[in-house]
Amino acid sequence: MSDDNYKKSDPKIEQAAASDEQIQEVHSVLLREKSEPSEGYSPIPLLLLGFVSTMIFVVSIYFIHNRGGFTSGIGEAAMIYDERFDPKLHRPDTGVVKVVDPMVVGKRTYAQVCAACHQINGAGVPNGFPPLVDSHWVTGSEERVVRILLHGLSGPVEVNGNVYNGIMPAFGAGSAYNWDDAKIVYVLTYIRNEWGNEATAITPEQVTAIREADGARSTAMSADELLALP
Amino acid sequence: MASALRIAQSLDPSTSPTSVSRAELSEIDASTKAPALFFLISSVLWLLAGTAFALISSFKMHTPEFLGDYEWLTFGRVRTAHLNTVIYGWSVNAAFAVAFWLMARLSRSVLRHPTLLFVAGAFWNIGVSIGIFGILRGDSTSIEWLEMPSYVTPLLFVAYALIGAWAIITFRFGKSKHIYVSQWYILAALFWFPWLYSIAQIMMIFEPARGTVQALVNWWFAHNILGLWFTPIGLAAVYYFLPKVLGKPIHSYYLSVLGFWSLAFFYNWAGVHHLIGGPVPAWVLSAGIAASFMMVVPVIVTSINHHMTMVGSFSALKYSPTLRFIVFGAVSYTLTSLQGSSMAIRSWSEVTHFTHYTIGHAHWGMYAFFTMVMFGSIYYIMPRLMLKEWPSAALISTHFWATSIGIIIYVAALSIGGVLQGLALNDVENYPVFMDIVELTKKYLLSRSYAGILITVGHLAFAVNFAWMLIAPRAKSSTAPTLFRNPSSMVITR
Repeated sequence: MSDDNYKKSDPKIEQAAASDEQIQEVHSVLLREKSEPSEGYSPIPLLLLGFVSTMIFVVSIYFIHNRGGFTSGIGEAAMIYDERFDPKLHRPDTGVVKVVDPMVVGKRTYAQVCAACHQINGAGVPNGFPPLVDSHWVTGSEERVVRILLHGLSGPVEVNGNVYNGIMPAFGAGSAYNWDDAKIVYVLTYIRNEWGNEATAITPEQVTAIREADGARSTAMSADELLALP
Repeated sequence: MASALRIAQSLDPSTSPTSVSRAELSEIDASTKAPALFFLISSVLWLLAGTAFALISSFKMHTPEFLGDYEWLTFGRVRTAHLNTVIYGWSVNAAFAVAFWLMARLSRSVLRHPTLLFVAGAFWNIGVSIGIFGILRGDSTSIEWLEMPSYVTPLLFVAYALIGAWAIITFRFGKSKHIYVSQWYILAALFWFPWLYSIAQIMMIFEPARGTVQALVNWWFAHNILGLWFTPIGLAAVYYFLPKVLGKPIHSYYLSVLGFWSLAFFYNWAGVHHLIGGPVPAWVLSAGIAASFMMVVPVIVTSINHHMTMVGSFSALKYSPTLRFIVFGAVSYTLTSLQGSSMAIRSWSEVTHFTHYTIGHAHWGMYAFFTMVMFGSIYYIMPRLMLKEWPSAALISTHFWATSIGIIIYVAALSIGGVLQGLALNDVENYPVFMDIVELTKKYLLSRSYAGILITVGHLAFAVNFAWMLIAPRAKSSTAPTLFRNPSSMVITR
């Protein structure tokens, strides 16, 4: 389109573009296109309205059943993470003491944390991380295994004929992981009785006693130090 | 070709009833030419860059040592650069061009001061370039979809604000009394994007919210940028080009209304379904899942509306490149959205979450739907801007088949591989060693790379055709559109 046919700022375009055959020819791209889109007014099918209503109904039922305590307001529901929570069954002051199965809680903690190195099957990684299966460190002396978890272990350690030289972090109270005694009890009881291991359960009293006896120790144990213990 | 009489009529201003409105369109198209071309050229360049990043990161998934010695090309950076390039580079640039071209046409309003829009576009692209450079350099914020370092995001926001304001001003000065459905979507998207982007930037980067609220904001943003920015722009293009190419009205205004408002009402809630199983209050997740299910409504309504418009005209797919890309995109929209709703089911999410299945789903939406619709739109818009025809029908054909077959293989491979991966990850008894699961997915990752190569071929065909069109001289006389094949009677226009 040549510039002298119209001025860009002039909004009155009717005469300009419609009068020049040369422009028409250049604009064959535009001339051949169909008219600008418009809308038909077919009614919404009843079946579709039925479908929409059904969706609203079903989804509302879903929300009511999975609302996680969202009844009187956000206040209470803001701290509930289980969608099956039912306030009718929730009695905070019944005085029932929760009984925890250390094997279940221990397994969960183990899978989340310990399995990263020792693997989910407890077999460890050759030349990297020692196995927990069939290891005397795990199933043997309670004094030793509790301290390994509480304070960590660094330097060479022999397990089933192989020497591993790595660092296991401390998990006890005051460490970066800062596990309480109960959590340590669960994990240790779990690894002492899983994958064919069989040993006594660790009690909270044992862990508390060892932790208090050692005081605020900040360095990891070494294998020699542990072997000196009963 | 049409009869000589009809051509004569259409060329004669005194007998053609539509020639005045056509002249008006030509004026409007001419006013959008400079900025639209700028955005489209930028988008094609970003598309090529994004494709390169995509291939590198895809190869790294099965051959980790590939380019592993270059700090700038480690997986964490290249994959992030890929996402940001194709989203903020390719998709947003293409969306801008299509959005204000459609807006100007549908409002029957010339674009005022196109130079300013051009400047805003330049700033947007400078911002994206610095952002990608920053990511490759190691400055990523490590927040998914918002990885660009905080030193470019204000620039991007200002550039966006100018561009968005321009489209809204164009609408305000419009002469059209009726507001067409495409305009609803574009207008809404233009307001939704700054809302999402600014809230996310403030709550994630500048004044970070604490704890899980960050994760909630993150997924609220990342999911809504798809559903409340790219989806409306893509649907606006479908709603325009489908009836435009076919020359018949969209099936039902009422369905359009229902589809638009149900999308607007439900989508905003759906993003939190990404946090299923996370430490988020259960009612938030349940509300998000409920909204994800409700998204079936706008999807079904919109697809019925599009399908009923298409019925009786499927043969046109043989001829029109625009129509073929748009229909491919529209069908993908329906399928990927239904898949998305299903992925919000708690038990299914436990399998598919954190697997390649999610990546397959994301590409089904962003590529098979949005990108294909943008390709179709560009095939229609470019001849109107340049007043030239596409130089090669063979290249368009290559583009279509390479990208469509490529993305189908891509999605299929990652969906199957992802489900197997998810089942294995949940099965500690049979898959105690993580590397076994990695090995399991390897052949699907390889298939993904092959699909990626195919898609790259399509993109190169598109880029060559695009560049060729820019430099080719304009034909002296009337021209015919470049179609896949020439129909016996010229009833189809591109």
